[in-house]
Amino acid sequence: MAAYLIRRLLSMIPVLIGITIISFGVMKLAPGKPTDVMLDFNPKASVEARERMEQLLGLNQPIHIQYLTWLRRVATLNFDRSFRDGRPVTEIVVERLPITLTINVCALVLILGLAIPLGVIAAVRPGGLFDRATTVLVFIGYSTPAFWLGLLGIAWLGVALGWVPVSGLHSLDAESMSLVGRALDAAHHLVLPVGIMTFVGLAGLSRYARSSMVEVLRQDYIRTARAKGLPERLVLFRHGLRNALLPIVTILGLSLPDLIAGSVVMETVFAIPGMGRLFYDAVMARDQHIVMALVTIGAVLTLLGNLLADAAYAAADPRIRVGKSHA
Amino acid sequence: MSGDALVVGSIGDASRLLPILATDSASGDIVGLVFNGLLKYNERLEVVGDLAEAWQVSEDGLTLTFTLRPNLRWQDRVPLTAEDVRFTYQKLIDPAVLTPYSSGYELVEDVEALDERTVRIRYREPFAPALESWMMGVIPKHLLEGEDLNTTSFLRRPVGSGPFRFRRWKTGELIELAANPDYFEHRPHVDRYLTRIIPDQATLFLELLAGQIDLSGLTPLQYRRQTDTPRIRESYRKFRYPSFGFTYLGYNLTDVRFADARIRRAFDLALDKQALIDGVLFGLGSVATGPYPKESWAYDPSVQPPSADQEAAKRLLAEAGWIDGDGDGLLDQQGHPFRFTIMTNQGNEVRRQVAELIQRQLRLLGVDASIRIVEWSTFVHEFIDKRRFEVVLLGWNLSRDPDLYDLFHSSRTGPGQYNFVGYANPEVDRLLEEGRRTFDQPARQQIYHQVHRLLASDQPYTFLYVADALPIVHARFRNVRATPIGIMDNVIDWHVPLPEQRYKRMAP
Repeated sequence: MAAYLIRRLLSMIPVLIGITIISFGVMKLAPGKPTDVMLDFNPKASVEARERMEQLLGLNQPIHIQYLTWLRRVATLNFDRSFRDGRPVTEIVVERLPITLTINVCALVLILGLAIPLGVIAAVRPGGLFDRATTVLVFIGYSTPAFWLGLLGIAWLGVALGWVPVSGLHSLDAESMSLVGRALDAAHHLVLPVGIMTFVGLAGLSRYARSSMVEVLRQDYIRTARAKGLPERLVLFRHGLRNALLPIVTILGLSLPDLIAGSVVMETVFAIPGMGRLFYDAVMARDQHIVMALVTIGAVLTLLGNLLADAAYAAADPRIRVGKSHA
Repeated sequence: MSGDALVVGSIGDASRLLPILATDSASGDIVGLVFNGLLKYNERLEVVGDLAEAWQVSEDGLTLTFTLRPNLRWQDRVPLTAEDVRFTYQKLIDPAVLTPYSSGYELVEDVEALDERTVRIRYREPFAPALESWMMGVIPKHLLEGEDLNTTSFLRRPVGSGPFRFRRWKTGELIELAANPDYFEHRPHVDRYLTRIIPDQATLFLELLAGQIDLSGLTPLQYRRQTDTPRIRESYRKFRYPSFGFTYLGYNLTDVRFADARIRRAFDLALDKQALIDGVLFGLGSVATGPYPKESWAYDPSVQPPSADQEAAKRLLAEAGWIDGDGDGLLDQQGHPFRFTIMTNQGNEVRRQVAELIQRQLRLLGVDASIRIVEWSTFVHEFIDKRRFEVVLLGWNLSRDPDLYDLFHSSRTGPGQYNFVGYANPEVDRLLEEGRRTFDQPARQQIYHQVHRLLASDQPYTFLYVADALPIVHARFRNVRATPIGIMDNVIDWHVPLPEQRYKRMAP
């Protein structure tokens, strides 16, 4: 197992470098430079000022030199500075990451807590009333645009009823609150965005759980369990669910990069300064150091997530444990 | 009388809170409240002193002498002196500083601090827009000397001389300023100035409906319809004044068709600008006849907008050789129909609608215009810079000084320069050069009136309209007034009567 993990980890390095080369190239091919935000259609900025700024920022060097400079820095975990405000990229990411992570973990826990029971109960009687009702419900969530739901939620719960804050993360006077007060304040602000993300994200996992459970319940060992007279509850939860959860584990592993990838739409609608908006704004402003940092972090997490999913799967299912297949 | 907080809704976050580096409007707004220039514009758009209590321009226009107000202090109580002004200039022309504003100071020979309160600036040539260039915020030498201005932590916690002190900045969420008790005019009555960053226009509006935002700009639709509710009418006041900018159709004058002034004049005659304003801006704008808004002293009131006249336009086009020869409803010349593309940038709904109305109006004339909407960066670098356009629909937001050298002087047609339509009129060139050398206000006014008239008759652009700025302010603020310079001009005089004050629990 250890040798396998090391081999997998080593094979990630060329893949990662390939990903960064392609991203770097694509970004440089797109029209526009990070200095455009300051200079485009600013009649006060002369051509000389433009050239001077590009030179200061090293933007007039050949692409491969720029890439190698970048790679050398990243090898020491230095992602350079943002072109927009001159701060280190790491500092900016560290500021945003906890926000997105909190929201995504909350939403993920809620989704898991709701989707698996929904899927399992629906699977007990496929095609029954509960199955059909939940199918309709989760697909409504799946197919409604999140920004529309968000605005609707704000207009109704935030403006008309005044139950939740309209947008943002903190109240304006949060500074003068106690620690607990501040946490409750933040939670109050997160109710609506997290609620909507949960509703929107329910479809995928609950369908997986359902189909996986339906399949498991058709297996011989389930029939055996029933035949030997086990109570239905034990059949479902000890024999059925434990096996049905295997594919869910894979999906969870693959969703690791999603945890840090904020939703641009939700963060924009709810005015939350998370990773999604950071990435979107950076692309729009051609803030290349931020874009490259986020692409690299995303790539690492995707690769690790794949590995994690494989490892977790192997741990959960003895039949596919690598290295023992020849035994 | 003092107290309460003014909560402003903003679409974008600031980037660098240093006057010489601030380029986006969010940074500019904050920097404008924290720092002062030597000069500023008053509500009648006249140049008046800000940090300077007096200034002189020498006879030959080559020397500017500023006398600072007595007892000026930075917000950390250190005296603000002529040396700080000299330091600001040095940083503006320092090649290692990422400022786009250096070109405004190219003609400066030297800046000398004659004593604590006197600065003498000598120019190589007389340069009238120089006065406006000294509205640049002065930065504190004692805090910035030896710092790398591009990355210094000062950019995120500035110390200035202005009516508000910086308090905190939560990236992407809010920026908070507090009243400066020592401000040289007087302490602002409002205790706090908070900018909340809300990137979505719809959410911003919902925050306003919920009463959580005190000041924000409205779209014409919001101004006319969506804010016409009892709740809003009761607790908010809407303002309306012309913005300092105009929307125009720019022609590629290297295209043989548009090189012919008759065709440009025909378009000017044919386009019903009032219909654009009524249809897209809900009437919240005014017809432009040139590059200046009516409030500017450079605007020549004798230039009248032509009344839309399709027949006269058709005659002009026929004169230029464009007639409907084959009876298909489109004008043609040697078998080629009059066909071109209007390009504009993505993400501006108003421009898209204006382009569509123009398309319809031109079609009545027998001209077939198609519309192409392109992402901003691509638009600028692939089409404008490379002159690969026929007609563009764009807008300019200009500074208050009427100098238009960069837009219309024939020497400014290179890549990355802003006479991208390729306009060249020796008379306009001469006037623009003279306008830059002339400090005498009445003489300058004559020059720019002439520029306005020439541009209106040459039509390198078809000037379409000046949109109105449409701010809305919570009614508890008193003393709010709209002036051509903007609504925030007298923000230090705004106040909220005690019983109506809303934010009382702000941390000290």
